[in-house]
Amino acid sequence: MNNLRKQFPILANNPDLIYLDNAATTLKPGVVLDKMMEYYTQYGANIHRGIYPMSERATEEYERGREKVAGFIGANMASELVFTRGTTESLNLVADGWARRNLKAGDEVVVEEIGHHANLLPWQRLALEMGLVLKYVPIGDGVESLVTAKTRMVAMTAMSNVLGQKVEVGEVVAKIKRANPKVVVVVDGAQAVGHGKVNVVESGADFWAFSGHKMYGPTGIGGLWARTERWKEMEPLMLGGGAVREVSLEGYRLLDGPQGFEAGTPPIAEAIGLGAAADFVESVGRERIELEEERLAGYAYEKLVNMRGLKVLGKEGGRIVSLSVEGVHPHDLADYLGKYNICVRAGHHCAMPLHTKLGLEASLRISFGLYNSEEEVDRLVEKLDEVIKLFQNG
Amino acid sequence: MDRQIYQEEIIERYKRPRNKGEIKDGVVAEEANFLCGDRLRIGIKMDKQGKIVLAKFEGGGCAVSMAAVDMFLDRIIGITISEAKKITGKEIEKMLGVELSMSRKKCAYLGLEVLRKIKTGDE
Repeated sequence: MNNLRKQFPILANNPDLIYLDNAATTLKPGVVLDKMMEYYTQYGANIHRGIYPMSERATEEYERGREKVAGFIGANMASELVFTRGTTESLNLVADGWARRNLKAGDEVVVEEIGHHANLLPWQRLALEMGLVLKYVPIGDGVESLVTAKTRMVAMTAMSNVLGQKVEVGEVVAKIKRANPKVVVVVDGAQAVGHGKVNVVESGADFWAFSGHKMYGPTGIGGLWARTERWKEMEPLMLGGGAVREVSLEGYRLLDGPQGFEAGTPPIAEAIGLGAAADFVESVGRERIELEEERLAGYAYEKLVNMRGLKVLGKEGGRIVSLSVEGVHPHDLADYLGKYNICVRAGHHCAMPLHTKLGLEASLRISFGLYNSEEEVDRLVEKLDEVIKLFQNG
Repeated sequence: MDRQIYQEEIIERYKRPRNKGEIKDGVVAEEANFLCGDRLRIGIKMDKQGKIVLAKFEGGGCAVSMAAVDMFLDRIIGITISEAKKITGKEIEKMLGVELSMSRKKCAYLGLEVLRKIKTGDE
């Protein structure tokens, strides 16, 4: 998809850039940046406040952003989507805004060893504070395996940000709900939304959390989706202006719908930019993106799996390729590659329990976006081979 | 392009550190570089005058952090712990002989950071 590269100003500005850290954040196409610039330069007023035309336009564009993103993820209606700062805030909102108010001591919450810290820490803290029982799904097992009559919540991921195995969320949720219909399922969709087809309603899950900047949108914005009834069982993380219907010295009444969860001036330009990102991804075609990234990851896997002293952590068919090299720390690998403008990530990728289970402190992660090519993978492999030899022979 | 960072001495120190070994007694401190999850333990022994006579480290990490701590432990033999704590990051970079990026500085300074956590009675 080489012609797509032209649509990314950062790639035009850095022709030699080989960006393979898309699981951390994707690059932004010009259409997203233009749309945000348009807000700031044409109608940059606050929303929901002014009666004057510019504020009305800002409000309209902001809400159009919500409609586009809601449509993109397959929501029934735009009001099911609350804008947050990203997946982390969304998952905290589920833990604090829903679970804290609807679970009780002794209830079981199923979480995954492969989970990102954002889908572990909120549950660890809540369990400690409320006396919930956390159950960890071992790597490779289905989350449904730990669901019992006492389970009230499952916090799962649609795609591990390290191993990159895609999960058929709909099938898993169906199994969970068959085992116990009372279980509420929250899905960490950070690595899934934007890299393939996602339909939150069809998935049967109760909550989907995702980030804008991992789907070619701006940083500082993401979303939490839930059905209207579920929102009514929740409390916002923050209170303040913009979220209230009426306030007196005796108390307050929040707005119905998503606005009640978006106190304060929201990231307006970002919401508008995220709408443009949804349009962009849709225009490229999510099936095409999914197939292409799967093909590239497969290509990289093939090339790397037989390299001497190198171990690929995930299985074949993953969308992300993480690896470790005997005798060379991932930091050194990433540093060396970085000198050749090859951007890959080294570390625990906010999944320390997963690395501990694998017996590693850290790994090197290669993750793909719609602008990557086989030539880039070839160059990566060439340089990886070079640095490994440097260490082996030294 | 500067690929100097993986010069022979750094790789040599990484593969065959001189000061790596079990710490049986003496004063000990431990710290982790949370960026990469590496852990490092440093143990030292002092003579009656308070001069460091033995310094060892345990743990693993990248070539930069391991080479830096290995050289750093060479450097602190014969001086007191409070003198050792005054060694600067800049000096460590000089020992390594390379210019480090911001994230690699954290790796290189790990040994110094750990040593500064060691508590002795005379301070």
